[in-house]
Amino acid sequence: MSSGANASGAGQTATHAELSLIEALRQGNEDAFGRLVDQHHASLRRVARLYLSNRAVAEEVVQDTWLGVIQGMWAFEGRSSLKTWIFRILINHAKTRAVREGRTVPFGGVGADDIGGPEAAVSPERFHPANHPAEPGNWTSPPRDIRTSPEGRLLAREVGEQLQKAIDALPPNQRLVLTLRDVEGCSTEEVCNVLGIQETNGRVLLHRARAKVRAALEPYLEGGG
Amino acid sequence: MRQPIGSSTGMPCQELVELVTAYLDGALSPADRESCDAHWRTCPGCRTYLAQMQLVVGSLGHLGRRDAGENGAERNHLLDLFRTRGFHHRGPRERSVPLGVADEFASPGDHISYFWESEDEFDATAGFLAAGVERDEVCVLLGHAGANSRLLADLERRGLAPDRLRRGDRLHTVSGQQPADAVLGAIGDRIRTAVDRGAPMVRVLGNLGWGHPGWPAEGDILRLEARVTDAVRNLPSIVMCAYDVRRLSGRSLLLGGVECHPLTLRRGALRRNEHHVPAEQFLETLALDAA
Repeated sequence: MSSGANASGAGQTATHAELSLIEALRQGNEDAFGRLVDQHHASLRRVARLYLSNRAVAEEVVQDTWLGVIQGMWAFEGRSSLKTWIFRILINHAKTRAVREGRTVPFGGVGADDIGGPEAAVSPERFHPANHPAEPGNWTSPPRDIRTSPEGRLLAREVGEQLQKAIDALPPNQRLVLTLRDVEGCSTEEVCNVLGIQETNGRVLLHRARAKVRAALEPYLEGGG
Repeated sequence: MRQPIGSSTGMPCQELVELVTAYLDGALSPADRESCDAHWRTCPGCRTYLAQMQLVVGSLGHLGRRDAGENGAERNHLLDLFRTRGFHHRGPRERSVPLGVADEFASPGDHISYFWESEDEFDATAGFLAAGVERDEVCVLLGHAGANSRLLADLERRGLAPDRLRRGDRLHTVSGQQPADAVLGAIGDRIRTAVDRGAPMVRVLGNLGWGHPGWPAEGDILRLEARVTDAVRNLPSIVMCAYDVRRLSGRSLLLGGVECHPLTLRRGALRRNEHHVPAEQFLETLALDAA
């Protein structure tokens, strides 16, 4: 196994700050609850939409999630981080609802985190073949240096749209992993914990998703354009 | 796992691009990590690839921070939900959870006694579990073997495969053949574990083994029943205890069924029970009785 943190799967537990937040919530502190909503609501809505395309249904699922948080906080012991717990409630609700609506669910079936066959991060055509005499497997057409492009180029509106398009085009499992990890800022361990998948498999899916997004955005990453 | 990569010249670019995610996650072995660093020192193409990847990851994070703007009405609605449905709320709780029996609704945190006389009335308690399954909740059976196996058969008849539910962590059995403290602890653990895994609620169906072999004596079961009410009051759970009117002693029915439950379900109606005795008082009189 890798030397990555938490490779043992022991998982990361709630911090002191989170436990005192929970205590405040149990006492009925509305400001604390409001802050929690501000912190996670938009994320929950985005992730719910990955399961349910209907906006109204997704909103209901998010509301049920908050109700689950409100009523579950006395039972929450901090075995996982607060964020992981909230996402787990969301995903349970979203999955149930999506199945009921007859939709295909990411990581839905048996052997759900099967990662499938190998997938190259970069098209093999861009490397010398393995039998190349001098540089087997090295770049023939390397990505072009982005230092020539203006700072923050990727954040331009047009590129933001391309980014969203690239995410939407991903296979559902990859899209979900990438969204939780990179858009919502969970750690890889948290993502796998929330989705109930092996960390190695989760990282493979993340890797493939990122590679696809990079490839889709490559024209925008290069200086010339 | 793969062998540690040799020198930078030994690792083709095509292999390196496959390690970028693990590298950025800090999940490579020190040897692999060192090989990657060495490769990047000498390969501008791969350096660019890494920089692009970091730019992509950074931009994705920006996407998440972009629309954090809140909808005021929705936020207020959620605050309202917190105010009225949180367990810190002292007033009467909204009965919003379908019980699955007699078209009644209950609230999370309820402890209900259900008195049954006919076989049909017993079988109706499987509806309590079925409603939980329907809502993606976790169900816990705390009963003697006879009652449990009949409930499982009832579930099967309703088209809910108990084995599949068990495998999916949706149906559990807690043994009552242990001291009251241990039973109470085991129920609490089950509830907390289920909530931790994101389950919306837990239903516990009790068919306590009064006088059954291996079960605690009557006094100990009464002590358990008296304490369940407070133990689950603030947990997303509904505990329903079935009382067999034809077979149980009057004392078990009165002290256990009536005095230990704030709610009773009888003749198809869930009612607040004025005869409920708070645990502390109940346990005190029980101790005096014994003395």
